[in-house]
Amino acid sequence: MIDVKGLTKSFGDHLVLDHIDEHIHQGEKVAVIGPSGSGKSTFLRCLNLLEEPTSGTITFEGVDITDPQTDINKLRSRMGMVFQQFNLFPHLSVRENICLAPVKLKLMTKDQAEERAQELLKRVGLPDKADAYPKQLSGGQQQRIAIARALAMNPDMMLFDEPTSALDPEMVGEVLEIMKELADDGMTMVVVTHEMGFARSVATRVLFMDKGKIAEQGPPEPFFSAPQHPRLREFLSKVL
Amino acid sequence: MDWLLDQLWQTFIEKDRWRYFANGMAATLEITVLALILGTIIGVLVAVVRSAHDSQRGNKKGLGHALLGVLDGLCKLYLTVIRGTPSTVQLLIMWFILFRWADSSSMLWVASLSFGINSGAYVAEIVRSGIMSIDLGQTEAGRSLGLTYGQTMQFIVIPQAVKNILPALVNELITLLKETSVCGFIGLTDLTKGAMIVQSRTYSPFVPYIAIAVLYLIMVLALTSLLGLLERRLRASDRR
Ligand SMILES: Nc1ncnc2c1ncn2[C@@H]1O[C@H](COP(=O)(O)OP(=O)(O)OP(=O)(O)O)[C@@H](O)[C@H]1O
Ligand SMILES: [Mg+2]
Repeated sequence: MIDVKGLTKSFGDHLVLDHIDEHIHQGEKVAVIGPSGSGKSTFLRCLNLLEEPTSGTITFEGVDITDPQTDINKLRSRMGMVFQQFNLFPHLSVRENICLAPVKLKLMTKDQAEERAQELLKRVGLPDKADAYPKQLSGGQQQRIAIARALAMNPDMMLFDEPTSALDPEMVGEVLEIMKELADDGMTMVVVTHEMGFARSVATRVLFMDKGKIAEQGPPEPFFSAPQHPRLREFLSKVL
Repeated sequence: MDWLLDQLWQTFIEKDRWRYFANGMAATLEITVLALILGTIIGVLVAVVRSAHDSQRGNKKGLGHALLGVLDGLCKLYLTVIRGTPSTVQLLIMWFILFRWADSSSMLWVASLSFGINSGAYVAEIVRSGIMSIDLGQTEAGRSLGLTYGQTMQFIVIPQAVKNILPALVNELITLLKETSVCGFIGLTDLTKGAMIVQSRTYSPFVPYIAIAVLYLIMVLALTSLLGLLERRLRASDRR
């Protein structure tokens, strides 16, 4: 579904991603873990070109998205993204947050979008919050709305950058629960996370990033029980 | 007391001289409002061009980016020249050089144009600082949904920025209103020029000049209280 070849990213002379090759298939749920500063967010943000790769190619659904001729907006509308800080639009109601992009991009009429919004709100367990404003909601609720907002575009793939790291501990569960349901529905997902329990139980594959490289990867079973790379062993011993 | 009554009589009633004040005030307000509209349009466009240029990271190539570079250069030139020269001089150049063939019936339009162009430079920097005050995550959230840069600005960033910059914009409007008092230099009968004409007829400056000072003050106070009202409204909407 998405194919990454020789992906390199530097900020100035600071090399953050070092020739990454990776292929993510349709329906896979990939968890990305690794120490702070290892390039996890940068890797994820390169996938929808929020960061411009320094070199390398990324092919999504057969289209080379790093080609300047590609319509990047069209591509992004098929990849949902959920941020650590939620990034809901504070001046818009929950309904407007969800409907804005589908309506402005003329993918749906206003009525269709509102109906879809209601459906999605039900799905994330907040059917009565359509008229609320982001500031009136808890962090966990905001993140669930952010997931609904991304889903409103009917994306083929969802990217999550530490979706629960900014949440109070008691709210982490509700967001992970939504993500798990999404995974069960067959969504292709790439999730940067520090939630090892989630990675273990939901991911079909785990990537360990270290110093701009994918140092080790595999299905959660041997990955967590029999880590090979010394850096991964050290990392797991700290977080587990 | 008799002296003052006599002066008031001479200044306002005799030969219907109050008309100079009424017509002058109308001209002042008209120029201010037209210049405000033009200045806002110019200011927002320039601010968006400059922010778009600033937000380009990395080594982007291609025609679009070259064009943006040229536009940004033109905007910088505009800002430097307009903010580096007195608005009075700009008005003189506009009327006596650029529009030297225009007849006097279009004087008000030329003055509005001149002050609009002047004000646009100040509004641009106000709007730009407003745009910069909005968290980058808002732009990223908009772009990740597939919205274009322009749509993200229009529906997400600028509506939020307006709240932050409203006080500065009203201050700019107050400055603009007061600066139009130099319109007499090109022979336009605004409020100040009206008072000067009356003084030249009655040979007594006291009442006409004190009167226009009071009139300017009233207009400024009206604008200030309008700002207070708007701010209270916005704060109320922040609480929801
Ligand atoms: N816009 C930027 N400009 C300069 N350096 C950056 C930028 N974004 C990231 N970096 C640097 O790139 C490196 C990798 O950052 P990245 O955010 O990808 O790490 P991460 O693995 O997501 O870390 P964390 O777990 O803390 O989120 C860091 O050293 C960071 O300082
Ligand atoms: Mg990160």
